Amino acid sequence: MNPALRAAATGMMAQQTRTEVISNNLANVNTPGFKRSRAHFEDLLYQSIQGQQVLGDPNAETAPAIQVGRGTRLAGILRMHEQGTVEQTGRNLDVMIEGNGFFQLDDGKGNTTYTRDGSFQISDKGLLITSDGWALQPPIRIPTDASNITISVNGNVAVTRGKDIQATEIGKIDLVAFANPSGLQSLGRNMYGSTAASGEPVVGAPGDDGMGTLQQGSLEGSNVEIVQEMVEMIIAMRAYEINSKAIKNADEMGQMANNLTR
Amino acid sequence: MPDPVRLNGMTSAASALQMMERRQQVLANNLANVSTRGFKAETPFARMMGNAMAVTDTTLDTTAGTLTETHNPLDLAVAGDGFFVTQTPGGERFTRDGSFQLDSERRLVDSRGNQVLGEDGPIVLRNGKIEVESDGSVKVDGRLVSRLRLERVADSAKLEHEGGTQFVPDATRQAIAAGERNVRQGFVEESNVNSMSAMTAMIDVLHRYGAAQKTLSTLDSVRAIATTEIGKPI
Repeated sequence: MNPALRAAATGMMAQQTRTEVISNNLANVNTPGFKRSRAHFEDLLYQSIQGQQVLGDPNAETAPAIQVGRGTRLAGILRMHEQGTVEQTGRNLDVMIEGNGFFQLDDGKGNTTYTRDGSFQISDKGLLITSDGWALQPPIRIPTDASNITISVNGNVAVTRGKDIQATEIGKIDLVAFANPSGLQSLGRNMYGSTAASGEPVVGAPGDDGMGTLQQGSLEGSNVEIVQEMVEMIIAMRAYEINSKAIKNADEMGQMANNLTR
Repeated sequence: MPDPVRLNGMTSAASALQMMERRQQVLANNLANVSTRGFKAETPFARMMGNAMAVTDTTLDTTAGTLTETHNPLDLAVAGDGFFVTQTPGGERFTRDGSFQLDSERRLVDSRGNQVLGEDGPIVLRNGKIEVESDGSVKVDGRLVSRLRLERVADSAKLEHEGGTQFVPDATRQAIAAGERNVRQGFVEESNVNSMSAMTAMIDVLHRYGAAQKTLSTLDSVRAIATTEIGKPI
């Protein structure tokens, strides 16, 4: 196969992947705690068509090696962990993390997963759970006679029980931070799993160094910016188009070559 | 001096076809990398090979790509001359692709996981606000951690390309003085491929390829006349 065709095909595939990433970002423009991704490309290995060589006889001149590139490849998809927009909801079980931390969740099989989506609910057993039903770790149990739940910036959860006037503290929400949050594995449903690339989770209290603080009554919106994604999409489409032109050109050249013999 | 290779029109036309094909390959590679950060396009040119035969050679187009603001503190771009230095399994490499990240041990690495080198080796960044100043000083919460190594070579157009937007430094490499550096934090350098000029170059390739092909066919017809018509009984 003509290497020009193949190089242009890798370019088209790259733009296709880029569009897929953009589409996923746009689809999650209203997902709380969603972090946008961007595709990252690198050029493929270069083929040395001809090594360095000495030209001419009287005054020997060395010509550098001739290298021809063979296209592009996906180097990785980077998740951008910048803070999303603040959405005031006024709901007392909506908790936003302002900073780099993550909530810890129990997946029911003893594994810990991580999320930034703080739209909690109370389960039938009184536990704080996410909208998908995963329990917050360490568990926070809300007594049945509780009213007026308050969550402080440092993660202290307090309720007013029965006819009490004073609030009683019933637990504390812990956060974890990662050295490299972009290395976390996306598990879907707004959850992440730790990997070797993300580093070990460091547990701390909200307000500790690098954890961030909690804000009750707000949710972290998605950090996708529509205009930016639209611009990216237009660029990707044009790049796709021009790579298809490169294929057409190479194809026409092939046809001409085939016409050499009549 | 040896006698130059005797050429007939056929081989010249054939080498012209080959030259144009290779030129198209170079253009296709440039276009495939139109969204590869830190990519430097290659400019094809024809080189006379001692005699009349021409081949396509390439030189690195070192013009800067557009800097795009990302607000990501680990995205760095070199404005002007110079390259970041990374430690790869094959030795030290140059790169202009500054979309860096932290690995599990909080070392600054590129997208392939190669460590980005500072003046005293790999750069480890602890938790805090990361600031990179224009002279390449890396600070966490205002405290100097390291300084990025920035280097240049005498003629960057001759640098050898390696995949992954890496270049192999040659013997003329030298560090850039602090006053001449201009590192921009929160920016990435886009590919410097100009799709407009690549498009016109492709059309040009197509037409020249057509011309060379016509030349070859014409020469062939001339020979056909020579072999079939001459010596025909009248």
